[in-house]
Amino acid sequence: MKYDIHFTLNHEEISMTVAPNRTLLEVLREDLDLTGAKEGCGAGECGACTVLVNKKPINACLMLAVEADGKDILTIEGLSQGTELDALQLSFIDNGALQCGYCTPGMIMSGKALLMEKPAPTEEEVIEAINGNLCRCTGYKKIVEAILAAALKEDKS
Amino acid sequence: MKTFEYFKPNTIEEVSLKLLEYGDSKILNGGTDLIVALNEGRSCPSIVVDIKGIEKLKEISYCEDNGLTVGACTTLNDMMNNRYVIGNYKILAEAAHTVGSCQVRNRATMVGNITNASPLADTATPLLILDAFVKIFGPGGEREISIHDFFISVRKTCLKAGEVVVGIRIPAYKEILGLYQKHARRDAVDLATVCASIAKIDGDIRIALGSVAPTPIRCRRTEEYLRDKDLTEIVIEEAANLALDEASPIDDVRASRVHRQDIIKVLVKRGLKELVI
Repeated sequence: MKYDIHFTLNHEEISMTVAPNRTLLEVLREDLDLTGAKEGCGAGECGACTVLVNKKPINACLMLAVEADGKDILTIEGLSQGTELDALQLSFIDNGALQCGYCTPGMIMSGKALLMEKPAPTEEEVIEAINGNLCRCTGYKKIVEAILAAALKEDKS
Repeated sequence: MKTFEYFKPNTIEEVSLKLLEYGDSKILNGGTDLIVALNEGRSCPSIVVDIKGIEKLKEISYCEDNGLTVGACTTLNDMMNNRYVIGNYKILAEAAHTVGSCQVRNRATMVGNITNASPLADTATPLLILDAFVKIFGPGGEREISIHDFFISVRKTCLKAGEVVVGIRIPAYKEILGLYQKHARRDAVDLATVCASIAKIDGDIRIALGSVAPTPIRCRRTEEYLRDKDLTEIVIEEAANLALDEASPIDDVRASRVHRQDIIKVLVKRGLKELVI
């Protein structure tokens, strides 16, 4: 059996039909070609699949696609305005906060959720916000710095 | 993931009927445990009943007569940031905060945490020392049972066919002093090796331990020993030994039995020292 769902994806209304046994992550990547969110562990431990649902970060691997019905979903692809990157994406580049890039979309979405709620977070709050996101190469220091720098920049502008 | 029927009703009655109709159904709440089990093939239900369409299950309320009521679909993040929880049941907020990551807590719920009946459920030990009640809806209507009768064994609760937990109620207390402690392999996003809720609640010291027995446990004999005693070094040491006697930890992937025994004593002593004025 398949189910009709309607939701907002990256600021656009979407209607589609999904099988109940597919995760939101699978449908984003395989049906909608949004491959920014990654599958790392598939168990809610690595955060590589982080997307925002109604402005809150969640693991897309732990949500069924059918549950997206009526929700507002934002993925890394929805952050930029056309070819103009979001301030947080630019900050990751400026601060060298990525190497292989696998964790980056998830890190940025967790950071984005924090900045949307707390525009001027403390370092502790940043560390807390990304503790569900694992990075195996850059290390966390530059990632934390990138999020803090983006907050500072936003604050000044 | 094997396929299944997905059903999202608007009333609790429909949930109960569907559970009765299908013997191998699963309730979908936050999904942070269920979807992992579905993915790994550990769970292959013919129907998944999503209870998040029932608006009243998202409510959280407080009054002095009934205390705090947390609806089944209240996420852990919403619960731990609730002003009544922060103000009156800080130990519960502390325990909820240690579950998974921010992403997990935006989906996971306390009711899901306890209905899994894992011996190490983070929110179980605070509920045990707070003498919480589990609100259950089933074919016979709504009933409320003590949390002390809820856990039967590892991953087994007293829920009968067609029954679903709709919320948790925690009585009102004048004063709760104490803390939740979780010993794990890493600080964030890990399961407890041993966890403990130790608090003085309206004058009485209460102790509950997790990941030390087939279910989370209250240490009644230790509490009895501590009644009306001053918390001297000797009393605290004896209490830690008694609590150890009440526990029956096992070896598993997270720790050995012997290591858990050491940790139990450390957590009990540390928790009681917090209560020394």
